[in-house]
Amino acid sequence: MVAVDDQAGSRRRNRRDRLAAKGGDAAAPQAVAAATFDVAMPKPLTGGGPAVRPAFAYLDDSRVGEFVERSYRVLEEHGVHVSHPAAVEKLGQAGCRVDADGRLVRIPRGLAAEALAATPREVTLYSKSGRHDLQIPRPDNSFHMRTGTGAHGFIEPDGKWRKLVLDDVKTIAAIGDGLPEVGFIAHPFVNGEPERTSDIHGFAAMLANSEKHNWIQPYDAANVRFLMEMSAVAAGGEQALRAKPIVSCIACSFSPFEFKEMDIEAIIQCGRYGVPIHACSLPTAGGTAPVTMPGTVLMATAEILAMVTLTHILAPGTPLIATPLIFALDMRTGRSLQSSVEALQGATMAVQVCKRGFGLMTHTYGAGSDTPDLCGQSMAERALIGFMVGQVGADILGGVGQMECATVFSPVQAILDSELGAMQRAWMHTPAVDDETLAWDLLMQVPQGGHFLANDHTLKHCRDVFEPASFLKLARDPYEEAYRRNEVDNARAIYERLMKRETPPGLPGEDAVAEINRIVAAADKAILD
Amino acid sequence: MTGSLDDRLDAIFDAVLDYEDEKTERLVREELAQGTDLHVILNDALIAAMDEVGDLFSEGVLFVPEMLMAARAMKAGLEVLRPLLTETDAKPIGKIVLGTVHRDLHDIGKNLVGMMLEGAGFTVINLGVDVPLEKFLEAVHEHHPDVVGMSALLTTTMPNMGKTIDLLRKEGWNGHIMVGGAPVNQEFADAIGANGFAADAPGAVELARRMIGAN
Repeated sequence: MVAVDDQAGSRRRNRRDRLAAKGGDAAAPQAVAAATFDVAMPKPLTGGGPAVRPAFAYLDDSRVGEFVERSYRVLEEHGVHVSHPAAVEKLGQAGCRVDADGRLVRIPRGLAAEALAATPREVTLYSKSGRHDLQIPRPDNSFHMRTGTGAHGFIEPDGKWRKLVLDDVKTIAAIGDGLPEVGFIAHPFVNGEPERTSDIHGFAAMLANSEKHNWIQPYDAANVRFLMEMSAVAAGGEQALRAKPIVSCIACSFSPFEFKEMDIEAIIQCGRYGVPIHACSLPTAGGTAPVTMPGTVLMATAEILAMVTLTHILAPGTPLIATPLIFALDMRTGRSLQSSVEALQGATMAVQVCKRGFGLMTHTYGAGSDTPDLCGQSMAERALIGFMVGQVGADILGGVGQMECATVFSPVQAILDSELGAMQRAWMHTPAVDDETLAWDLLMQVPQGGHFLANDHTLKHCRDVFEPASFLKLARDPYEEAYRRNEVDNARAIYERLMKRETPPGLPGEDAVAEINRIVAAADKAILD
Repeated sequence: MTGSLDDRLDAIFDAVLDYEDEKTERLVREELAQGTDLHVILNDALIAAMDEVGDLFSEGVLFVPEMLMAARAMKAGLEVLRPLLTETDAKPIGKIVLGTVHRDLHDIGKNLVGMMLEGAGFTVINLGVDVPLEKFLEAVHEHHPDVVGMSALLTTTMPNMGKTIDLLRKEGWNGHIMVGGAPVNQEFADAIGANGFAADAPGAVELARRMIGAN
């Protein structure tokens, strides 16, 4: 007689090895969460075919056309202020009418249209490791996500708020690298470093610690050059950076209709280094833009069209991603809101005009909330904004982990945002309708009292479902047995696992990091002295 | 058929976990033809496989249809052994009467529990669906089970579990009673006087084993 326990144990191990070798058969999150208070890690979404993005839009084609038409008129009749003499000179040479003060530039319709036609419609945002290169638009017609940028506050996993410091950049890098839905990572504002070069310090830390594509947000015109030099070092030289840009950079309007020296300098340097531009307009309805959202959207689309033209003249051929980030002023308090109903409407319309009207790649907030803490409001607002801008065609959904209107980063919220993004991308893939998915043969054969649990069709497709990592699918008893462990607790467990990661591939080597640090020191000396 | 006994038992074990009922049946026949003790085949291959299926399901690795298909494969192997087990007068580890309570027509979960219990070596008397109180009583008198298991999917039919328990106890039957089904939880089970509640099929097997002291 064979001893049952020993042999069965051996067979179980064999079977588990085989399951592990097949891949994707890791324990499901809920069961493990209940049993051991641990969770399965989020996995990349696979399969499903192209996303059809079920239609959702505020504007019909004629309305989109009206926004496009009026954007041209704003540039031609009102013009934009450009605080960069060298750029103004080039714009004048290209056919723009420049006022006597040398700053107000009126852009002829023909030039803007030419610029629009010349703007690349696709780009690859390269990662340092090569494992997370992002094609824009995403080949499956869904979207990429990116972490929030510019946060100066940090919410610890236990919910405590504090100022964000340089060491937190490593945390954001680890979380961003580890979350499958996060395509690229922005650098935050780091407290405790010189304020005028905080961007350089934060970006240096991000370059050194994340394997994914990074997003530059310069804080001053003089800083742009140093940020680009650091990027070139991380990429392996200027030529390598141009061939495979591992960074992209924001350039912003200063609403209404103004472009400061820093942002013009960003466009110029992006052209020099071949770095893609996120052409960003951040109007606030009722403050820097009309209180009525269509007026705010028009301001954003006109400013983006201006940046398309500026890029065409100052950095020809440089990939540009339209990035309307729409805010609304809370008329009770004067606070800027990113997730009010009106701001959501504005973001949705702006994406629609940029995507369908201009034909540009688009990027906007697809996560984020106006509430200070991770709570029901936070989840509701970010789910809504992701849904709305995702359905109208945004290529990049920003704001992963951001709270309190883009001023705070929460790694736990970022983990939940990645889950929300995965859910949305999963259901974007409109199910195929054919004999196989209709289960026609089965339906026509099912007897009275029959069921569908035990047949080959169910067996074949029963894993074609979205499996959340953090969200619960538990009944009351196991939930109570797990001490009411909820999705936030699961996200915290994922956070702990992500923070224990091994050093990822693709990080700059010791020499490159030393060179980046030398550039940081040189920037401090040049800018602060 | 080649290989050591362990290899051959592994093959049966794997056939169950690959949901291959015909292969399981064939391998069990071949193993019997080799002269292997049928209890070894039952305990070390078939029941071991279903224990593993239960564990994998509880961990979330296997899904319901996969557990069901594995149970079906196990049953195919068990059917080969069943006549021989009868001949050798081998006793099951326990006997269970199962049924979906009065006015409830749902039987998928209950049948799954039944298959898993059979896979664990229990004899299962499945009374089907919409089982009146009196039929449970008749069954315990006729089959003398160790355990009565009741299932309900509807909140409107759940109270019939309590009524059935009341009747069984009133008529003097003092065996173990387990309940389950989507709307049922431990609190409800306690309230109606059941001896145990299981949230899923592997849990029911574990509970039944505990009830009869087979763990």
